[in-house]
Amino acid sequence: MSNDILFLAEFSGGAPARSALELATGAAELASQSGGSAVALAYGSGAASGAGALGAHGAARAIVLGDEDRPAITFAPAAIAAVRDAGLAVLAPATPNGRDLAAALVGSLDLPAFGPVRAVRVVDGAVESEQATLQGSVITTARPADGAPSPSVVLVLANTFTPAEGGSGTAEVTQTGDAAESALAKATVAESHEAEAKVVNLEEATVIVAGGRGVGGEEGFGPLRDLAEALGGAVGASRAAADAGWIPYQLQIGQTGKVVKPSLYIGAGISGAIQHRVGMQTAEHVVAINRDPDAPIGEFADLFVVGDLFEIIPALTDEIRRRKGA
Amino acid sequence: MKIVVCIKQVPATGADKRYTDDLRLDRTGVEAIINPLDEYAIEQALRLADAGTADAVTYLSMGPDQASEALRRALAMGGDDAVLITDPALAGADEWTTAKVLAAALDKLAPDVALMGMASDDARGSLVPGAVAAMRDVPLLSYGSELALADGEARVRRLSATGYDWIAAPLPVVATVTDQVGEPRYASLKGIMAAKRKPMETWSLGDLGLSADDLHGAALTKVTDARAPEEKPPTERIENLPAPEAAAKIADWLAARKLI
Repeated sequence: MSNDILFLAEFSGGAPARSALELATGAAELASQSGGSAVALAYGSGAASGAGALGAHGAARAIVLGDEDRPAITFAPAAIAAVRDAGLAVLAPATPNGRDLAAALVGSLDLPAFGPVRAVRVVDGAVESEQATLQGSVITTARPADGAPSPSVVLVLANTFTPAEGGSGTAEVTQTGDAAESALAKATVAESHEAEAKVVNLEEATVIVAGGRGVGGEEGFGPLRDLAEALGGAVGASRAAADAGWIPYQLQIGQTGKVVKPSLYIGAGISGAIQHRVGMQTAEHVVAINRDPDAPIGEFADLFVVGDLFEIIPALTDEIRRRKGA
Repeated sequence: MKIVVCIKQVPATGADKRYTDDLRLDRTGVEAIINPLDEYAIEQALRLADAGTADAVTYLSMGPDQASEALRRALAMGGDDAVLITDPALAGADEWTTAKVLAAALDKLAPDVALMGMASDDARGSLVPGAVAAMRDVPLLSYGSELALADGEARVRRLSATGYDWIAAPLPVVATVTDQVGEPRYASLKGIMAAKRKPMETWSLGDLGLSADDLHGAALTKVTDARAPEEKPPTERIENLPAPEAAAKIADWLAARKLI
């Protein structure tokens, strides 16, 4: 066992996910506290050629679990082989793929599981994490139980760490060792369907303009897109808007959609039901625009603007463009 | 084809929640419901039963005695029978422990599909299904907006970054479904009456061949602190202003925080 901090680094389409960069920096931060190294477990298309570059964000070493475009869970056997008896913690992105692999590690190696966490640190030789539970009504701090096996598996919310930029290091890349046979590797993609329009990965957006039922329809998202563009951000939605078919499910924020942590979240025509709130409550700044002065979102927004989103949003877009001199 | 739906009883969404002095969720006197996301797993299983694809639907839950109410409520929606795993040694169980216990129970029940909701309302780690799959060495098909079964194979329709995929694996599997499955049915009065006569077994750890020692006490993790979230500064409000003025005020607010 070592004091290394491992992290899952997902690649797709030849490039690392933003979560890989964030966790590289997070793992390096924790490794400096534990006296170990940050080690990437890289998987997905582009992992073999791209893993070394994670060094620029903090990884000292990288183990390539596989370089193919296949369901993330099928990398579990390689991940299990790499994690067995290694390190103090494994950081995993709190995404569907990250959770699948993290769960496989927990179940195969009998490891303590934490998260999704909003803060993690090394205290007295073990990871200590902070988690919002019960829909954000309680913040709990947790550690491995005495004598629990290592490493701890920690799900980390997007934007918990900011990727270090400008580094020039290269991670030392190795291939994974022999993996045991596992039924987890048997999942295959039987059919693949592309959406008509390209959708962004909301978890990577630092500014999000989200629309809800109050947007009224597909075309109602037009002004939100303009504002998002002016702010350099992305458009998201509540479940009501996604269920209505106004916007793809990939852009749904909430308990059953994406959990986002942008620096700025603007909610327009969103009432702020608890199911939506758990998907965005860790945003650094929350602005809400709603016609209803009693909308629940007004209770937890930092700035609550009461008014007609179809008047205010275009006016705000103009104002921002004007100030940016565009 | 046999499906076991794993359900969890959780405090009602709006209920007042607190922790006990030993940092466990205080469940006394708190209204409890079926974890809302588990109802979609129930609905998916019952649709497969309605279609004749599944011959038997069993519900499985781990919890205190009162979790039998959640199982009874599920049986009122449909399905055949239920198993409650309850044992004093399980108080304070974490995700690993829960997975360990469910995996042992599923070994006994031997379903073709162990079906679960995508997350629980109270903890949201979503690690139990994958951990159960790993412990039982069966494939995991997660986050399905639909589950299909045919020819010794299970498939889930799952969102991809750019559209959706059908992910397939040979049976038996552990599968999870999302709230896109379709609205869960209500229990009819007839269903509620019928549920009272449906078989429900109660198993202890011993019935599963497990002891508290196998479970590292009840958890590999320990909660060392539980507190209320930081008080946020009060919400600032902009009201009763014409749009251009409201927009200018919002822009000032954003600029003061270096967001534009």
